[in-house]
Formats: sequence, structure tokens, C-alpha cells
Amino acid sequence: MAAEASTGMNERVIRVRLKRQDGPDARPRWESFDVPVGTGSNVTSVLQWICAHPVTVEGKNTTPPVYDSGCLEEVCGSCTMVVNGRVRQACSALIDHYCPKDGDELTLEPMTKFPVVRDLSVDRSRLFSNLERMRAWVPVDGTYDLGAGPEETPEAQQTRYVLSTCMSCGCCLEACPQYTLETDEEAWDRAFVGAAVISQARYFNMHETGSSLKKVRLTELSGPGGVSDCGNAQNCVNVCPKEIPLTESIAAIGRQVTAHNIRQFFSGD
Amino acid sequence: MERHHFLLRRLHSLTGIVPIGLFLVMHLTTNSTILWGAFNTRIDGEGFDRRVGTFQKEVEFINELPLLLLIEITLWGAIAFHSVLGVYYATSGKGNTGAYRYQSNLRYSLQRWTGYLGFLFIVYHIATLRWGWSFLVPGGTEWSHHFAASTLAAALRGGDEGFTALGVAVSLFYFLGVTALVFHFANGLWTAAITWGLTVTVTAQKRWGYACTAIGAGLMVAGWASVVGFAALDPAEARQVEMSLHGEVPTDGGEAEARSMDVSSRGGDTIEHSGGQH
Ligand code: HEM
Ligand code: SF4
Ligand code: SF4
Ligand code: FES
Repeated sequence: MAAEASTGMNERVIRVRLKRQDGPDARPRWESFDVPVGTGSNVTSVLQWICAHPVTVEGKNTTPPVYDSGCLEEVCGSCTMVVNGRVRQACSALIDHYCPKDGDELTLEPMTKFPVVRDLSVDRSRLFSNLERMRAWVPVDGTYDLGAGPEETPEAQQTRYVLSTCMSCGCCLEACPQYTLETDEEAWDRAFVGAAVISQARYFNMHETGSSLKKVRLTELSGPGGVSDCGNAQNCVNVCPKEIPLTESIAAIGRQVTAHNIRQFFSGD
Repeated sequence: MERHHFLLRRLHSLTGIVPIGLFLVMHLTTNSTILWGAFNTRIDGEGFDRRVGTFQKEVEFINELPLLLLIEITLWGAIAFHSVLGVYYATSGKGNTGAYRYQSNLRYSLQRWTGYLGFLFIVYHIATLRWGWSFLVPGGTEWSHHFAASTLAAALRGGDEGFTALGVAVSLFYFLGVTALVFHFANGLWTAAITWGLTVTVTAQKRWGYACTAIGAGLMVAGWASVVGFAALDPAEARQVEMSLHGEVPTDGGEAEARSMDVSSRGGDTIEHSGGQH
């Protein structure tokens, strides 16, 4: 058998258990595959191999599993899935870490907080819808030239740079006990937005021009699904592959929302 | 509910600290006098007399507070508000400590479970000792704030004659209830600082975490001291001390006598039935 998923060193065969689902409403089922791997193999390369050899351990021919991937270097976030029970990017999940020995088992499942499209591919529209809800952008549209952008201190730049690296992968949402699967689009404006979106609100509130929408963001974040629905389990910060200080963002937004509501109480607007 | 989302969330957080948390602190420090009262030189007698005496003085001080009923109702209202919303909030999340074994995640789940357990304990505690539901007390002891230590000790032991099996169960329930509530309060102090935006940086959250641990440890000692202190008390001996405090001559038959007496009708000038709590 050809060993495409391997580099030729430390050759071994691992058992991959895959949770499969033929469509959004189909019932999930499990299939197992024996996959040859070597030093440097990762979960995405294992999936590539299975797609090229879609035969289960029972010898049954099956369809190639569907999965997402893009950058293959942990930058786009599209390959996020649940590997051995924990959420992460498939492309950076090294097999040497999960299955160091011949015969070791690897379990792959789609994320549970987003509707499954097929197999390992999920629909993360809610995340993008919530970013829109939070006006996660800098408003520059207008009828005249706004001139040069505002100056920024190196300190603010440092803080904002890390926040800007969020790739909307969804890890922080998958691991959050307060973020639950919401298939009904109607509910998206009321359900908890999760750490990534709160952090993006902080990011744009810190921007000179972006801050013109600060009030709208903070009003949104005060309401149902806003920052107060966070239960401080702090899983988000522990699983974020970009090491974004999400709990600091949550506390910073907590502070902004406190001030915003006190101000609003007395000023009335 | 939706319109006042923010206000309700922040009131939930606030009531956890004031008045409920503040009361918890006062309640446990007062109750722990059942042990450290031994060092109170303003009470006559040996260690045992001082312990019972100091605690009795504390109880009487509280029962003489002005507007006691108003304080009580505020407290009950706050507990009811915090608990009802607490259960609602707790059921909106779904714990996942199996997959994500982080200490903070464990505390997230514990915050919810200690809330449930704490609520059951508070209801039992108030119902039996304040509202007089003595049918829920093994041995049927009814609490009297004139005989605070002895009646509580009897309730924890399941009667006057040493521990019964049910008495051990009640004592254990007290121990677990107090432990749960102290954890819940200390961890709540930590999360509240994030909720309100006081501790923003990881360093600040860590620092405040140490402070909350210290507060929790101190309260835990006070809480455990209270439970152990009362359970270890011999009700009959404690009753003798209490009677002499009220200016009555303790007799050998004192136990039976005190028991059969209707506390509110004794009317002596040292005792006024104010229907207070503790
Ligand atoms: C002595 C009684 C209690 C005290 C002192 C207390 C105190 C607190 C404090 C200080 C907080 C932190 C608030 C925050 O993070 O902003 C809290 C949170 C919480 N409490 Fe209590 N509490 C008590 C009883 C209860 C009860 C009976 C329940 C009912 C189940 C409960 C459920 C909760 C829940 C679920 C939270 C988390 C709320 C959230 O993070 O959104 N608590 N409590
Ligand atoms: S904050 Fe981190 S975990 Fe969350 S979506 Fe962004 S990159 Fe992913
Ligand atoms: S800290 Fe808040 S957002 Fe992060 S995992 Fe916990 S509940 Fe979710
Ligand atoms: S493919 Fe882009 S993060 Fe894995």
C-alpha cells in the first residue's frame, strides 16, 4: 500500500475513527480506517489519505469524507474540528503527538456547536452573523476623503495586534460551556455571542475611527447574548490557537459595559 | 427579562456579594465563636462556659438589632432573587469538564453545583431553625434563640443523647452545605471582579484570585469550626450554662425542665421574645 500520508520516517499504521454524517439532517455514524503515517503526518494529511483510499477496516467501500481546509498553516481556521475529544485545527495537529505508536487510535469529529454540513464540515455562519451584529468593522464609507488614518501608540498597537490575529476558527466557541448549538437563525441575535466576537468588539472599540460605533457595540453587548452571558469558565483562552487574551477582552468589555450603562442611566441616551 | 437583561445580570452579581455574601461572612464569624469564644475573658467560667456564653451573647446582640424583621426580609428576598436567577443562568449552560479539564472550567461547574446544594441547605436551615419546621429535625428539637447553642447541638446530633444515625446525616449535610456556600462565595468574588471589569489583565485576575483564596480559606475555617463546634457540644451541659446566663439556677433536672418550658411565656426581665433569627 502506498504511504502518501507519511514522510518515510517512523512508519506505522494508526486506526482512525471518523464521525460521519451524510447531510445536515442525516444521522451520524462511525467509520474506522487504518492509515499509514510517519514523522510529520498531521490530521489533514491523514484525511487526504482516507479520501484517496475510502475503504473502512471492514473492507467496505465508502464515500471520501468531506472536510474543510485552506491555508494548511493554522492561519485560516477552516479546518477546525474535534480531535480526540478536544477542538483544534486539523492541519497543525501532528500525528506524532496523538499516535506515537503503531496501532494507536485517533478520533475525529465535527464541531458540536455549529450545524454539520457534511461529515467534518460545519456551517459557521452564526459567528459571522454575530460579528456583523457587533459592527466588527471600521466605518470609512463616506462622500469625502477622510484623509490619513489616526495615529496609534506602540502600546495600543501591541494590544490590538494580538486581537487582530483572530481567524474566526470557532475553537473558543466550541469549548465554551455557555455557547450552545443554535440551529434557528432567529435566535442568533439573542444567544451568547462568545469570546471571539466580544474580543473583536474590544479590538474595534480601541481603534480611533472604529470607536465611533462603540456605543452601538456596547448596547448590543449589554443585551441578551452579550458579555454578561459569559460564565467565566475561561476555556476560550485555554483553547485559542492564536493565544489571544480572550479573558482580558471579556473583562475589558465588562468594564466598558459597566461604564456605558452607568453613563446611560444618568444621561438617558 | 430581555429588556432588563443587563440590570438583572448585574443585580444577580451584586446580591451575591451584598447582602448575601456579607451576611455569610458575619454569620460564620459569629457562629465560630462556639470555638474561639473560649478565649473571651469577658465571660465568666471555664473554656466551655465561655464558648457557650460568648455565642449566646452574640445571638442576643443580633436579636436586639433594630429593624431585624426588615433585615431578614431583605436577606430572604435577595436569596430568593439570586437563587431563582442562579438556577435559570446555571441551566442555560452546559458543563464540559470531561473534555476540557482546566481548573477554571472545574470551578465554573462547581459554581453551579454548589449553588444548587447551597440553596437546598439554606432552605432546610431556615425552615428548621427559623420557621420551626421541627418535623424535619431528627429528634424533633425546636431551635430557641435563648438556648441557641444547646438546641442547635441537639438538632445536629439528632437529640440529647449523643449522635443518632440521622443526626450524623444532618451534621454531614451542614458540613457539605457550609463548604459549598463558602466555595461559591469565594469563587463568586473572583468572577464578579471580571463581570464588573475590575480585574482586566491576567496578572490582576491572578492576584485577585490569591486574595479570594485567602478569603475563602479563612471563611472555610470559620465555617468548619462552627459545624464541628456545635456538633461536639453536649446539649445538656450547654443548657446548664445558658440557664445560668439567664439568671436561673441550674438544677440536675434542668434539662427536662428547660425542654418542657414554653420559652415565650417565661417572660422574665432578662428574656424578651423578639422572634429574631440567627
Ligand atoms: C449564601 C448564598 C450565596 C452567595 C453568598 C452567593 C454569591 C455569589 C457570587 C458573589 C456570585 C458571583 C457573581 C458574578 O460572577 O458576577 C455568584 C454567582 C452565581 N450564583 Fe450565587 N450565591 C449564593 C447562593 C446561590 C444559590 C442558592 C444559587 C442557586 C443555584 C446560586 C447560583 C449562582 C450562579 C449560577 C452564579 C453564576 C452566575 C454567572 O456567572 O452568571 N448562588 N453567587
Ligand atoms: S479567538 Fe481564537 S479560538 Fe476564537 S475564533 Fe479567534 S482564533 Fe479562534
Ligand atoms: S470565559 Fe466566558 S466565553 Fe470564555 S469559555 Fe468561559 S464562559 Fe465561554
Ligand atoms: S487549513 Fe487553515 S488553519 Fe488549518
